[in-house]
Amino acid sequence: MTRFNKIGYFGEYGGQFIPEILRPALIELEDAYNKLKDDPQFQQKFKEELHDYAGRPTALYFAENLTKHFQKAKIYLKREDLNHTGAHKINNAIGQILLAQYMNKKRIIAETGAGQHGVATATVAARAGLECCIYMGAEDIERQHPNVQRMRLLGAEVKPVHSGTATLKDATNEAMRDWLANVKTTHYIIGSVVGPHPFPMIVRDFQKIIGEETRAQIQKKENHLPDYILACVGGGSNAIGIFHPFLEDAEVKLIGVEAAGLGIDSHQHAATLGRGSCGIFHGMKTYILQNADGQIQLPYSLSAGLDYPGVGPEHSYLFNSKRVEYNSVTDQEALNAVALLSRIEGIIPALESAHALAYLNYLMPKTQKEEIVIVNLSGRGDKDMDIYITHICEAEKNKQ
Amino acid sequence: MSKIFNQILTSKKQQNEKYLSIFLTAGFPEKDDTVDIILQLAENGVDFIELGIPFSDPIADGPVIQKASDKALTNGIRLKDVLNIVKKVRESSDIPVILMGYLNPIHTMGIEMFLNNAKEAGVDGLIIPDWPYEESHLYLEQMQRADIDLIHLIAPNTPKTRIREIDTISTSFIYCVAYTGVTGQDNRPTRRTTEFFKYLNQTLKHPWIIGFGVNNHRDFQLYTQYSDGVIIGSAFIQLLETTPASARIAAIRSFIRGVK
Repeated sequence: MTRFNKIGYFGEYGGQFIPEILRPALIELEDAYNKLKDDPQFQQKFKEELHDYAGRPTALYFAENLTKHFQKAKIYLKREDLNHTGAHKINNAIGQILLAQYMNKKRIIAETGAGQHGVATATVAARAGLECCIYMGAEDIERQHPNVQRMRLLGAEVKPVHSGTATLKDATNEAMRDWLANVKTTHYIIGSVVGPHPFPMIVRDFQKIIGEETRAQIQKKENHLPDYILACVGGGSNAIGIFHPFLEDAEVKLIGVEAAGLGIDSHQHAATLGRGSCGIFHGMKTYILQNADGQIQLPYSLSAGLDYPGVGPEHSYLFNSKRVEYNSVTDQEALNAVALLSRIEGIIPALESAHALAYLNYLMPKTQKEEIVIVNLSGRGDKDMDIYITHICEAEKNKQ
Repeated sequence: MSKIFNQILTSKKQQNEKYLSIFLTAGFPEKDDTVDIILQLAENGVDFIELGIPFSDPIADGPVIQKASDKALTNGIRLKDVLNIVKKVRESSDIPVILMGYLNPIHTMGIEMFLNNAKEAGVDGLIIPDWPYEESHLYLEQMQRADIDLIHLIAPNTPKTRIREIDTISTSFIYCVAYTGVTGQDNRPTRRTTEFFKYLNQTLKHPWIIGFGVNNHRDFQLYTQYSDGVIIGSAFIQLLETTPASARIAAIRSFIRGVK
C-alpha cells in the first residue's frame, strides 16, 4: 500500500489529518509540486515573477537611527514591506498560482486574517484570470477594512465568516469546507506554513527566498553572517522564510516572536508555542491553544495576522529541538515599536511585524556593538492605520 | 469487530434488509437529553447510532451540525460525558453505538486511554473524518484489543485503487459520503455518482452505507438501491431543533417510521 506511510512530518509534527475527500487533491498537489520544484523552467519563471512583478529582491536596510537608539549591535531590516501588495505573502501567492495553473484549476480560494494574504491571492488570481474567493472572519473584516476594499477592487469575492470567533481560524475552517465541496476545480492557496502536508513544505519553499536574499545581502555588506534574526510568528511563514536558509548555521541565533496580546498570563493571547500544547488541528499535528478537553481556545491579539490558535508544524519541531527560541510581546509593546520605527526611521510597519521589532527591547541590551541583528519587517502598516489612529495618535492626544 | 454489531450487519445483509443509522450530537439540544433520544431511536427500529462528539472546529460539517456542536459545548458537554451517555444507554439497550468526532479531543484524552474508556462504556466503533489510515493504523492493535472498529470513509472522488485498499483494511462497514462536500448539503446524485455507487455495490466486500445529505424516505429508497444502508444526520438534528421537548417522542417515532 504505497500511500499508507506516514508522510510530511517534521520530527513528530505535521502529517495529513484530513478527510478522505481531500486526499486526491493533496496527492495531486504534491505530485505537481515535486515535478515542478526541480524543473529549471518553473524555477526561472518563479524567479522572474518575483523580480518583475513583486519587486524582489527586497532591500536589506541598515537602520542607523534604530541602531543609535539602542547603542548596541547593528540593526538591519529585511524590507519585505516593500513587496508588491505590502508584505511577504506575495511570494507564496505567486508560487502557488503557478502551481494552480499547472494543475489546470479554474478557481482559487484562500483564507485571510489581516487581509495581506487575501490581497496577495486576489492580486495573482486577477492577473491569471482565475475566479477568486477569499474567506475572512467578520471581525477581521471590521478591523482590516482597507484590505477588504482592495480585494474587492481586484475582483475577488470576499466571504464574511460568522461562525466560531469570526477570525482567522474560522476563515480557515470555511475555506476547507469550500475546498471539500469544490475540490476538483479549485486550488486552495493556504496563506501560511500550516495545514496538511504538503502545504507547510510548499509555502516554506516559496518563502525561503527571504532568507536566501538576506544571507547574500548581509555577506556582501558585512562579510559575515548575522548573530541574531528576529521574525514574528502567527502561522509562521515569514519566520520560516527568513530562518530556513540559516538553520544549519549554529552561530546564527533565530528568535520567533509570538503575540502575547494583553499578556502571556492573561488568557488573552496568541502565544501558541509559549502557552499551547500538542494537538491536531487544520490537518496537522502541531502546537495549538486548547482547553483540557481538546477544544480549540480563542486566541487573542490586536493584530489580525497573528490571531491564530495554531502554528506551522516545522516551528513546533524547531521549538522542541531548541534550534529556534520563541518569545512573545504584548499588543502595547508592539504598538510602541510601531511609533518608534515610524518616528525615527520613517517606516510604518505592519502590526504583525512590529512584534518582532518590539522584542529588540529585550534582546538589544544583551548584544555587543560588533554584532549584527536582522529583523524581518514582513509587512507595511497601511492596513493598520485605523488601529494606529485609535491606539497611538489619539492616545497621545489624550495625554496632552 | 464487536459481536453484536457483527451479528446485526451480517444477518441484515443475508436477508437483504437495509440499515438505517441516525446521527445525533451528544448533549444536544440539552445536556441530559441524549440517552432518552437514543433509547427512543432504538425502540423505533433504528439499526445503529452515530453519536457525535462535539468539537469547536468541525471542518467536515455543514451549518446544522456545526450549530448543534456549538450548542452542546455551550451546554458543557465533555468527552467523558459522551462516554457516560453510552454507558447509560448500555444499561437498557444493546443498540450499537458508534462515536463520530474529530481527533483532537480524543488525542487530548490520550488515544489509548480513550480506547480503554470507550471499550468500558460499550462503544462499538469510531468514525473520525480527520484520522485517515496513514495516521490511525499505528493504533490498530489497541483498537482490536478494545474490540472497537475504526470505520473508514470513501468519497466519489476516491481513486479505485484506494477503494480496494480501504476495503481490504476495513474491519466493519464502510462509510461512503454521497458527494464531495460537508454534511447536510442538499445535493442530488449525479450520473457520475450513480455510476460510482453501482461500482461500489459490485466491488466492496464489506457492507457499506451512504451518508451526507440523506434526509427522508425518498432518499432512503434512492440510496439503498445501491448501498446496504444510510445515515441520516442533519435532517434529524433539525427535527430535534424544531420540536419542543414535550412533543419529541411522537416526532421521533413518526420521523423514523416515515423513513424506512
